[in-house]
This record gives sequence, C-alpha cells and structure tokens, in this order.
Amino acid sequence: MASDVDTAPLVGRAELVQTVRSALLGDAAHGQTAGVFLTGESGVGKTRLLGEIGDRLREQGAVVLTGSCLDIGDASPLHPLLQALRRFDAEVSTSHARTSSAVRGLLQMFADETAGPDGAGALLERVSRGLHLIAEGRPLVLILDDLQWVDRSTRQLLLYLLAGLGDLQLSVLAAVRAESLQGAHPLRRVLTELRRLRTVRVLDLAPLGRADTETLAAAVVGRTLTTDAAEQVWQRSGGNPFVIEELARDLRDGRDGLSETLREIFLERVDALPQHAHAVVHAVAAGVEPVQHWLLAQVLGMPEDELIAAARAAVAHRLLVGADDGYRLRHRLVAEVLAHELLPAERSGLHRRYAEALTAAPGELHQARLAHHWRLAGEPARALPAAVAAAQEAERLHGYAEAHRHWSAALQLAADPGPLTVDRVELLENAAEAAHHCGEHARALALLEELAALWGGEPSCALHIRRARYLAAAGRSALAEEEYQRALEAADCSPRDRATAAARLAELLLHLGRYADAGERAREALALAEKVEGSATEVVLASSALGFSDACLEDPDAGLAVMRDALDTAERAGQPEDVACAYLHLAELLTGPLNILEEGVVVARRGAERVAELGLGRTWGTRLLAIAINGLFRVGQWAEAEKVVAAALRHRPSGADAVELLLARCRLSVGYGDIEAAGRDLDAVATLLAGGGARHVIPLLTLRSGLAMWEGRHDVARLAVQRGLTESRSDDVMILSALVWHGLRAEAEAHASRTVEVDPTAVRRLRDVAERVARKSAGAARPVRSVVEGFLALCAAEVSRLNGSDPELWAVSAAEWDRRNHPYPAAYSRLRQAEALLARRSRLATAGKLLREAYRVAQGLGAVPLTSEIRELAGRARVSLDVHDTTTGTRGVPAGASDDELTALTAREREVLALVAEGLTNKEIGQRLFISERTIGVHVSHIFDKLQVRTRVQASAIQLRNQRG
Amino acid sequence: MTEPVWGPVQRDIVDLLADHPADVPAVVDHLTKLQDMLVRLPPLEDSCPLADFNRLYLTITSSVLDGLYDDRFVDPVFLSRLDVEFAARYFDAMRLWTDSSPGTPKAWSCLFERMQGPDARPLPSAAAGVNAHINFDLPFALVTTFDHLESEPVDGSDQHHDYLEINNIFADKIPGLRRGYLERWQLLIDMLNGDIDDWYQGELVEYTRDVAWRNAQKIWRCRHDPDARECERTRLDDNAAALGRLLLSPLGAFLQ
Repeated sequence: MASDVDTAPLVGRAELVQTVRSALLGDAAHGQTAGVFLTGESGVGKTRLLGEIGDRLREQGAVVLTGSCLDIGDASPLHPLLQALRRFDAEVSTSHARTSSAVRGLLQMFADETAGPDGAGALLERVSRGLHLIAEGRPLVLILDDLQWVDRSTRQLLLYLLAGLGDLQLSVLAAVRAESLQGAHPLRRVLTELRRLRTVRVLDLAPLGRADTETLAAAVVGRTLTTDAAEQVWQRSGGNPFVIEELARDLRDGRDGLSETLREIFLERVDALPQHAHAVVHAVAAGVEPVQHWLLAQVLGMPEDELIAAARAAVAHRLLVGADDGYRLRHRLVAEVLAHELLPAERSGLHRRYAEALTAAPGELHQARLAHHWRLAGEPARALPAAVAAAQEAERLHGYAEAHRHWSAALQLAADPGPLTVDRVELLENAAEAAHHCGEHARALALLEELAALWGGEPSCALHIRRARYLAAAGRSALAEEEYQRALEAADCSPRDRATAAARLAELLLHLGRYADAGERAREALALAEKVEGSATEVVLASSALGFSDACLEDPDAGLAVMRDALDTAERAGQPEDVACAYLHLAELLTGPLNILEEGVVVARRGAERVAELGLGRTWGTRLLAIAINGLFRVGQWAEAEKVVAAALRHRPSGADAVELLLARCRLSVGYGDIEAAGRDLDAVATLLAGGGARHVIPLLTLRSGLAMWEGRHDVARLAVQRGLTESRSDDVMILSALVWHGLRAEAEAHASRTVEVDPTAVRRLRDVAERVARKSAGAARPVRSVVEGFLALCAAEVSRLNGSDPELWAVSAAEWDRRNHPYPAAYSRLRQAEALLARRSRLATAGKLLREAYRVAQGLGAVPLTSEIRELAGRARVSLDVHDTTTGTRGVPAGASDDELTALTAREREVLALVAEGLTNKEIGQRLFISERTIGVHVSHIFDKLQVRTRVQASAIQLRNQRG
Repeated sequence: MTEPVWGPVQRDIVDLLADHPADVPAVVDHLTKLQDMLVRLPPLEDSCPLADFNRLYLTITSSVLDGLYDDRFVDPVFLSRLDVEFAARYFDAMRLWTDSSPGTPKAWSCLFERMQGPDARPLPSAAAGVNAHINFDLPFALVTTFDHLESEPVDGSDQHHDYLEINNIFADKIPGLRRGYLERWQLLIDMLNGDIDDWYQGELVEYTRDVAWRNAQKIWRCRHDPDARECERTRLDDNAAALGRLLLSPLGAFLQ
C-alpha cells in the first residue's frame, strides 16, 4: 500500500540517533543490558525515530523485534511482545530456518502456557530462554512504541530483562507519549527510578529549533523558504516536526491552511475527504489497530476496487497509513477528531460488523477484541462470554491485572437486565480473586461484600477467612484479626476451616510482633489440626508461628523442636509446598532469632536440594539458598557463599526472590571491594525495584552507601543514607540500625580522610535516630535486640571517631560481634580499636595484636578494602602484620630510588616529608603517624637541614620533583 | 518562543530541571536552588510571584523532611514517595513552560504568566501556586504513589492519617509566613483583622487538601481508562485555573 509518510528527511536528530545507537549496542556488546526511553509530546517524531534507529541497528547485525502497545484498556498480557514476535516471524526469510523455528517455538510456548502457582516468574524465564535462542549470540533489541499503554506483565518483563536476570544481551528502546505521563501514570515512577541508572537513558525529545525547522520545511517544499514563510512555519509549528511537515506540505501545494495545531490540521483534512474515504477512516477508527484489509472489507462491505480507491484517498489525505499487517490511523488525534462525527447508532453498527466478522475468523487478541466490539455494539449478552473467555485467557498468561479488568467488564455486562443466565456468584468470586492477585485490595473486598449480599444471611466461615486474607494483604491487620476471629466463631465453621483460621491468625499476630498471642493461637491451631486428616499446611503454618514466638519469648529449644516436628509432618504428608515451607521456616528460625548459623546454613542447603527434587527449585529453592548465602556471609565463608549465589542464579529467579539474591551477591562484592560488580548488582536491584517493592529499598541504600565509602565518596554515601532515613519505618529497628551505622561511619570517614566536610546536621540526625532505635529496641524481642545492639555499638564508636576515637567503645563493638559470630564487623572494629590506641600512643603492643588479628580475618575473608586499610595503618604505625614477628618498627617504608635528592633522609623522614608536601601541619602529621607533634617538629628540622632548605614549600618542591622522577 | 522564558537564569533553571530528584532531601535541595534563581528573574526579582510560592513550598517541604527525620509519620515510605511525586509535578510544569509547550497545565500557566508582571501581592501569588499544586497536582501524585506502592487510597488508613498530618504542617507554617509577607502598613490591617486572614488561608488549604483526597479516589477508580482519566484531568485543570486566575486578579489582593 502506498504511503508517503516517511519521505521527509529526518532533521535535527542525527546526534540523538547516534547517542541511542551507541547506548544500545555499545553497552549491550559488553554483555550487559541497556535501555533507552524516549519521551516527547505527540508529533515530536518518536515513532519515526524508533523506525530509523531500528533500521540502523538491523544493518549493524542486531536482531530487532518491534511491537506497540494498545490503547484498548482491556488488552491482553504481553501483547506487544507477541505482536513483535509475529511481525518478526513474517520478516524472517526461509534462509534463516533456525531463527524462524526459534520464533515459532516461543510463540508456541505462549500458546501452551497454563495458569499455575508462580507461573508468572517461570514464564519470564521461558521468555528469556526463547529470546536467547532467537538471538543466537547476536545483539537483541526490543523496540516498543506507545509504551504509555503497556500492560503490567510486559512492564515486569522489561524490568526483568533490563536487570539482566534473563542472562541475555538485550537492549530495550521504547517511546512514551509525554502527555500521558502527566496524569497518574504508573510509568512515571518507574522512569524516575530508572533515570538514575548507568544502563538506562531517559531522553526527553524536544521540539526542533528554529534552524532545523527551516531545514525540514525546505526539504518538504523542495526549495528554500522565504523569510516570511519560514517565520510563519516556525511560529505556528512551535518546532513540532509533524506540524512543520504538514504546514510545509500545504505551502508546497499552494493551500493556505490556517491550522496551527495537529487537531486543526486533521479536522481540515477530514472535512476534505471524499465520501468513501470517510467511511474507511471511520471504520479504522472504530477498530483495533492494525485493521487488516480483509476485515475492513467485511466491515464496510464495499467492492474491492472501491475500497482500495477509498483507502488510497485516505492515505493521500494523510489520515491513514497502510502497512503489510493492516491499516492504522496516521495519528491518535485523528480518532479523537472523528469521535464526535458519528451518530451513536452509526458507531454501534460499525462495532457490530467488526464483532460479526471477527466471530467467524479467530485471530490475535480474539476474545478481548470480541468483548470490546460486542460491548460497544450494545450487545451485552454476546459480549459477556467473550469477556469471560478473555479473562481466562489473561489468567492463563498470569496477567491478573488484565484478567481483573475483563472480569469487571463481565460483571458490568451481567448487570444489564436481559435474557442472561449467568452465575453471578462465580463471576464475583473470580473477579475478587483476580483483584486480590493484582493488588487491588479495596476492589477485592468490595466484590466480597457484593458476594455476601448475594448470599444473604450470615456470611459463611469461608467468606470470613477470605475477607481476612484480603485485609491482611492490604495491610489492614486489625480488621483482618477481627475477621479471623469471626471466622472462628461462625456457626458453619468446620474443624478444617477452624484450623486454617487459627493458623493464619497466628501468622498474622507473629508479623505484628505479638508473640504471646501468636503462640497461643498457634497451639490452638495445632490442637485443631491434629484432629483433621491432611492438614499439613496448617501444621506447618502454625508450627512456624509457634517456633518463632517461642524463640522470641526466650524458649528457643521448644520452638526448634516444634518446627522440626512440622517438617516431619510435611514430609509424611508429601505436599511439596508444605515441605518447602517447613524447610524455609526452620532455616529462618535457625539463622534468624536463634543465631545458630552453621546449622541453619546446612538446613537451608539440604532443603534447597530437597525442594528441587520436588520440582520447586526455582521459587522455594532460591529462597532457601538466599538464607544459606546470608548465613555463610555472616560466618565469614564468603567463597562458599559466592558459589551458592551462582548456583541459585542459575534458576533465573524473578521478583523479590531475585532481589534477595542480587542483594546478597552485592553484599559479598562490597566486602571484596569489587566495585564494578557491586555497582552492577545495585543497578539491577534498582531496576527491579522501579516496578515496586519498598521492603528492599533500605538494604539497597545501605549497600550503596557502603560501596560509596570504599570509593572514598563519602558525600554519596551520606545521600544514600539520608534517603534511607526518610523512607524507613521507625519500627524496622534492625534494618534502620545498620543504615544509621553506615551514615555515622560515612561522617567519621569524611572526618578522617578530610575529603568531604562533616555535616553536623546529618550527625545530629543520625544520633537522634540511633537513640530512637535504642529506645524502641529495648522493648523488642531478644533476637532483634541482639542484632540492634551490635550496630548501636558500632554507631557509638563511630561517633567517638569524630572527636578522638575511643578504643574502649571499639573494644565493646568487637566483643559484641564476636558474640554474634560475625567476624567481618568484628575485624573492622579491631582495626578501629587499634587505630584509636595508636592515636593515643598507648598500649602499642595491644594495638599490634589487634591489627594482626583483624588482618588475619580480613585476609581469610578476602575482604580487600578492609585488608588494605589494615595494611596502610600498620605501615604508618610501623606495626608488623607478620604473625610470627611481634616486634614493632622493623618494617620500614620501602626506600625509593637511592640516587635521588632524598637519599640522605631516613625512611621516617621521607614519610614525614611526603605528608608535608600534602600540606599537612605538624599536628596532623603526628596524628597520621601516631607520634607526637614535637617529634614531627624534630623530623622536619632534620629534613630542612639535610635538604638545605628553609621553608616547607621548598621542601615540598623537592619531594614533588623526586616523586615525578 | 524566541525569548527564553527564564531570561538571564534560563541556563541555570534548564540545568536544574534536567535532574529529577528521587528523594525528599533532594527535593528540598532542588527547591532551595530554585529559590535562588527565581529571585534573580527580572523584572520582578524578589517579588516574583513564582518565588513567593516557591518560598512557601520550600518551607513546607523542609518541615515535611524534618517530620520524616523526627519520626512524625506512620508510613514514611508512602509520604516520601508522595512528596517526591508531588514535587515532580511542579518541576514538570516548569519544564513544559520552559519548552513553551501547549501541554503546560493551565492551573500553572496562569501563575507562570505573571512572572513578567504585573506584580501580584505575595500572598495571593503563593496561594495561586498552592491552589495549582493542591487542586491539580496532588490528586494525581496520590494516585501514582498508591499505584507504585501497590496500595490504595482508603479512608482511615495509615496513609490517610499521614496525609492529613500535612495539614498541620501547613497550619503551622502559614501564619508565620503570612506575617513574613507583611509590610508595615499591612501590619496595621492585620491588627484590625486579627487572625481572620490566617484562618481563611488555613481553611483554604485544609479544604482543598480534602478535596484532593476525594479527587484522588475518583481518579483511582478510573485510572485504567485513559479517556476517563484525561477527562478528569481536564476538569481539575480547568477548575484550578479558574480559581488561580481569581486569586491573581485584583480581587485576590484583598486576601492580603
């Protein structure tokens, strides 16, 4: 089909095209993912740019998949990806048999997908495997237009792939209409978060400047414009390329339109259309784009010749675009302009004809489109089954948000009086469950109310349980508790239901920190479950609540025994989920409140193996391994932890599971001082969290500040902590105490290194928060208190560093962490204790011992930055780190070239001179080298004598000269 | 289109707006820098109507930040996200204005236009900004925040409680600011009127903030329907713009 849409040259975007190209291929070529999001207002040329860049990338050998999102609110999950694959399938020539079969394979996978637990995560994994096969080692680029209409599943897929979890060299290029982002669009927040990352660029596409406007207009007209004409185009278009092009075309064709907005341009055009062409554009506007030719022919019932002539006219008037896969309106605004032109009867007639034509020919988005057209045709009875089918189709692909919308539409359709015989109860149940799954809690609860009203009389026990479950998910714990209570009191409550309600209530109370109540409920649940066959699920749930409550109420052994029994029960009953759940809680209990780390790690790893046998490796196995990794990290077996991380990531987890693992790996990288790797993982986590997940933000920020400190960027560390402090709940004392320590450490490091000014306000705030944490944790359970105390000890010691570090406080901290069997912070505390002792020039032998101890641990861990800091301090203090050599002062600074001007100086004098050249005062040098100011004065006068100089500046000059040489 | 809208501070403002603050401390930092720039904007400089609003907004946001540090809110995650999202809309409006985009919300452009003069009284100027920000921006900021946190605008929830807590911050800050605006002769009027003006101003904020919460609930229900959402947006923009113009008209001067 003829289309002259792209004949005008691309003006003023050369630099942008280059930027995007290198952002997409440059980074992706290094085995990383990259993303570019173009935002801009209508007509600024986003679609055009996507096409242009796509072509260039294809020429460079990339595999380019192109799809666009749809504006029918009830679209289907992952539609843009499916569309892109189908398009690609049509493009791939037969010579690429392998690629072609990979594409078909992936499409088939979608067709075969069935709903199930954790289906969504597994689907992401299968998609990335499929894409891997298609790419065959070539760079893969996914281009998505109209991202403002993206469905939730596609959004999650993009973040998953961008976070690098697909283990795939992939880049994403997407365009977003800026106008849409102004409202309440979920992409807004996603883009704000993604903007911060190194791997993602969000480029705001601005209108063209004056010169470019003129160039583009001249290119369309075919000659240079007169000054007046150029000025007019500039004034009227405001630099919008689409408008420039259209104005220039009018100018070329001798039309003198007065229109200056897109809307006016289109209005004029629609008015000028021949009659048949009118019908064509109206029909396309009522359809779901792209509208295939055969479909259009059926809807319009025009003879072929006439239809083609009419379509040609619409294309010539630049209202319609024709492509291989069908017709589209040239611009969204065309539909808006047309919307007011048809009579309601005409419009519903068009929809009816669409629905009829589609009924006979199933295709893409079949049910969703049928439901859409029948509804708008005013035929609820026929729309209803299609809506139900579309909802089930969406659930099959785990798109609960989309399913919920279809179920809601179905309910509305069923509400219309008519000869409808539908099971409203079933519709309500499905709608409520889908709403619950996609986080629409209020809606889910409202649907339950309707359901209860439909039943009349006393709500059943099952309904109470369900309502309680939804309330708990919505975070409305008090109401959820009441609801469980009502379930337990309900007349129709079966023993089974009673056990379930009691077990869930126990779990809820545990999360609320009401350990005694939780324990009581859990015992009740266990007693109830004993009398019911096949209630392993309830046993596991109740046992873990009991186990944790006992552990928190200082009866650890009893809790542990209960949890072990629960595992046996689960194994005997043989339900995989129950077994997995029991392992998880047991491992959490051991590594958490009981702090029996070694055993916890063993249980977690054994559990991971066991659940993998049961087919739950990807989900539960990953969770268990994450527990093992964190345990290994704490006991100081970092190498082992690293291995487990690699093994766990091979499962390609998604969502919160993936975040846990990436954070664990990042923690290791920060410890190792692998700045590159840590930064990559932090970006990946931030990418995933851009889609939601506030719970992990604080650990992310804590690690970010830890990393920044190793890089010497204490101000960056401060910013990360500040953000964390303003976004954490004050009752999360464990997480908060670690964060506060990082903040105080950053200030102390800033003070010590003098690279960044200490921020007194920040220090004051951090101390306030530390006090608050101390206050709140006083009433907390013992295990919580124990963790918090470790961090608070570190906090107190860091504060002292701002004003003459106190070795006693560091000794307390080291003891605290030794007690918790956590060698890394203990070694850090020893380093600081030694430093403080050396600064006071007291107990030098103890300092040496501490340093050697810290050194041994740090080296064993492979903690590079900590090791080098210890080494540096030992060097300055002339402490030998050799375990067998306990005397101090034997190891000097290695002498430099011996024939320079500094030959005459002793090793100590050279050290002093180096610091003089850095501009330090004698007092500061004394602090740095742990000797008195007076001694430094003596050293300096010797240096002056030997170098035959009289000022520090002259001495510094010699030092600098010799450094260079 | 040819004249840079920010005159001599164009470069500074464009550079500042290129950055998108992602947390509350960064928002405060942004507003502080913006304040320095706005008071250098001719012809009105110190009495630039936008600077009047920005000054008030900065004070309020600083108080919110202090509140976050001081553990004043039940759900700081929610409040921080809301604060950032809320501010982002103010910066968005400025960005659109910078591009002379027809998409600039009318609620804001009626205030932006007055940067060229004629001078408006500081109090109505600040009130016009508060009006645009609360009546137009806030409902959308609420919806985006809830959507991101996978939560919902429910009356009586922790989030609602925190949201209402902000009213107290406004109430705390506005009388003080109010006096800050007064010149000598106005003090006289103030003495005659007592705290009536303060009260009126405080009521305005409280009233409109409540309306904003209701509007957010309304948008929440139709947020998946682009047409309905757009319709709501236009309605809010028109209403806020009408009120804004009234505040900036000679009538608004009576407020002061």
